[in-house]
Amino acid sequence: MAGKNDLDSSKKSKAPPKMGFSDLAKREERLALRLLLPALLIILLIAFYPLAQVFYTSFTDRVFASGEETNFIGFDNYRRLLSVHVTELEPVLDETTGQQLTDPDSGEKVFERPLDILPREPVRYRELNQFNLFGKRYVIGATDTNFIESVQNTLTFTVISVFIELVLGLVIALVVNSKFRFRGSMRAAMLVPWAVITVVSARMWEWMLAPSRIGMFNALFDRLGIIESPIAFLASGGYQLSALIAVDVWKTTPFMALLILAGLQIMPEDIFEAAEIDGAGKIRQFFMITLPLLKPAIAVALIFRTLDALRVFDIFQVMLGQSTYSMASYNYFQLIGNRNMGLASAIGVIIFILIFVFAVSYIRMLGVDEE
Amino acid sequence: MLKRNWMFGFVLLLAALTLLVVGCGEPEEVVDDPEVVEPDEVVITVAAGAVGMELELTRDLAEMYSEANEGVTVNVLDTPDMVEDRLGLYLQFFEAQSSEVDVYQIDVIWPGDLAEHFVDLYEYGAGAVADDHFPAIVENNTVDGRLVGIPWFTDAGLLYYRTDLLEKYELDAPQTWDELEEYAQIIQDGEREENPDFWGFVWQGNAYEGLTCDALEWIASNDGGTIIEPEGVITINNPNAIEIVDQAAGWVGTISPEGVTTMAEEESRAVWHAGNAAFMRNWPYAYATSMADDSAVAGVFDVSPLPAGKSGSGAATLGGWQLAVSKYSENPEIAADVALFMASHEGQKYRAVEGTFNPTIMDLYDDPDVLEAAPFFGSLYDVFINAVARPSTVTAPQYAAVSELFYNAVHDVLTGQKNAADAFEELELDLQDLTGFPVE
Repeated sequence: MAGKNDLDSSKKSKAPPKMGFSDLAKREERLALRLLLPALLIILLIAFYPLAQVFYTSFTDRVFASGEETNFIGFDNYRRLLSVHVTELEPVLDETTGQQLTDPDSGEKVFERPLDILPREPVRYRELNQFNLFGKRYVIGATDTNFIESVQNTLTFTVISVFIELVLGLVIALVVNSKFRFRGSMRAAMLVPWAVITVVSARMWEWMLAPSRIGMFNALFDRLGIIESPIAFLASGGYQLSALIAVDVWKTTPFMALLILAGLQIMPEDIFEAAEIDGAGKIRQFFMITLPLLKPAIAVALIFRTLDALRVFDIFQVMLGQSTYSMASYNYFQLIGNRNMGLASAIGVIIFILIFVFAVSYIRMLGVDEE
Repeated sequence: MLKRNWMFGFVLLLAALTLLVVGCGEPEEVVDDPEVVEPDEVVITVAAGAVGMELELTRDLAEMYSEANEGVTVNVLDTPDMVEDRLGLYLQFFEAQSSEVDVYQIDVIWPGDLAEHFVDLYEYGAGAVADDHFPAIVENNTVDGRLVGIPWFTDAGLLYYRTDLLEKYELDAPQTWDELEEYAQIIQDGEREENPDFWGFVWQGNAYEGLTCDALEWIASNDGGTIIEPEGVITINNPNAIEIVDQAAGWVGTISPEGVTTMAEEESRAVWHAGNAAFMRNWPYAYATSMADDSAVAGVFDVSPLPAGKSGSGAATLGGWQLAVSKYSENPEIAADVALFMASHEGQKYRAVEGTFNPTIMDLYDDPDVLEAAPFFGSLYDVFINAVARPSTVTAPQYAAVSELFYNAVHDVLTGQKNAADAFEELELDLQDLTGFPVE
């Protein structure tokens, strides 16, 4: 890394040649190192020690809040979380005709039941999903379907909510960046949702989404005549994730807007004036100037939000409890509900690795470190 | 200039929010603050529930004790309504071996799991009063000969019904689930004309411990066993259990709101309390709240045993809470004294009269004051002593996991993701894997 930088700077030849200063530079380096030492020690103590502890616990069967003896069990926790098994489902044939049976109610073809096909030893695989490929039916089984589903839920939640927040945040930032009266109070007011404690806002939304006309949405839809009977937003699979995404977008779009606004404010006015003179329209200006210049700000905002969204806990826990999990709320359930600290630690490690991968690939993709 | 404006606005907003937060702080906080307490005073903290009038009554008892015993201040820590969340909070105190909480209100399903964190109350004089309580509950709270919790109040599922509506539609209190279904539909159809928010029957259908209680009642009343029998045999996958759970799934969206699958005790009580339901399944505490001034159903409701299925008689899940003293308490003797006071004849009577919490002391069921406040204590005495226990003793320390598998399986059936036959076939395998018990 250092070598590459040296090469770069010598090519540009703007920086003074480093030879002759090497002694001073070395001394400064040493001083810098010594000054950094306390900070490094603190980081080691407060970040690496607990992390190492979690790594270690993830290889044991430790029980939370208990004096029971702990055993080392190797990779068992990881095997239980991540084992996936794909197998083909044979069609069920009619004994007399040899044709595949069809379900009289739905008219769909009948296949073997995954419950009978998936392996049960040494641990049971539960049905996760089914899919068709080249006219054959396959089933995906997993030893811990709750965990795999929690990963799917979290990723879906993250991708959709961060995307919507980015688009809305950009629009809002552009609006409050233009000059109008009460701009200051507008900017302050826009931050209100973000300033509300997440658990409080989750409870608030829970009431607004209540499955009777007590809930604002059901009352509104009912008044408008859109629905026949109240919708139970938080009860059924289809609405659950969309409701949570809506809450998250409401809550964190202001934060996204704030970060992008910061990027907009450092933009020099004269470029736009020049573009104006050159005859570029507003839309062209946006795509040719604003957006490229905003890239670093957007990158930072995206990283912040994505990493945050991957760790989402409070709104899942408050609004969905044990019925649908995010990675973090499943982690919490395994630790507190089941008191399975070993398994919970393994989940923690997997979340850590996932987020790490996301962070590194983001930084690579958006080239943040070069700016 | 504009930038300053913005900053100014932001500061204003922050100031407003701070004021809001300060304004919302409860006045009790000042009393609870340990700093106001004299230096040589002992502070005992009781972690207690806050369902219905619970918290208020616990605070009253704490005050009574503090007044009678100079030098002791009893604080009450309010804890989450959902059993899972409350257990989570307790476990964090135990993991840290914290002395912050001295007395814990624990569920009837916990003594086996948490025994290692509590003192033996027999060592603190509980032997003198243990025989006054229901023997079954004392036995439940005794782990390896140690009394880990003194029974505080017992619970059993009851059917609440609207006497005025039954009269209006010329019906009697339902004796079977089929009757309940039929009556609920009749009343709902009739009331809907004026009140579009009206439902026939509300209960606890969220995926949590409460659903285990409700579903166990359906299944036990239909001769479907108790999930895992006390002798360690898994019985959940049987036709009677499957039949009644499929029937219950049919209530969702017909006589019960779609949202019943997100309701816990207090959510279902809210619907009932506002006069928007003909029937409700709930615990005895709802009797006192339903009689309150702000209740739309005061004076026009009554309670009965839950309806019967195939077995011919209704079943009620045994609930109830105990008081346990933490092993990590700095003053276990005083803490035990507080617990024994709250669970004493006097303490239980106060809670029974003020809040219709079922005493665990047998004599109190003959007490005229108690019977005046809650007449059903006398008439439903059999329901309370014959309540069906959840399989917590036989599966300890894995009951939480057993219950989670069970209520999620039932929840899947209620929300229409599976039928009961498939759900219970799979549940049976899961329970086998988890507990290692044989199947019937």
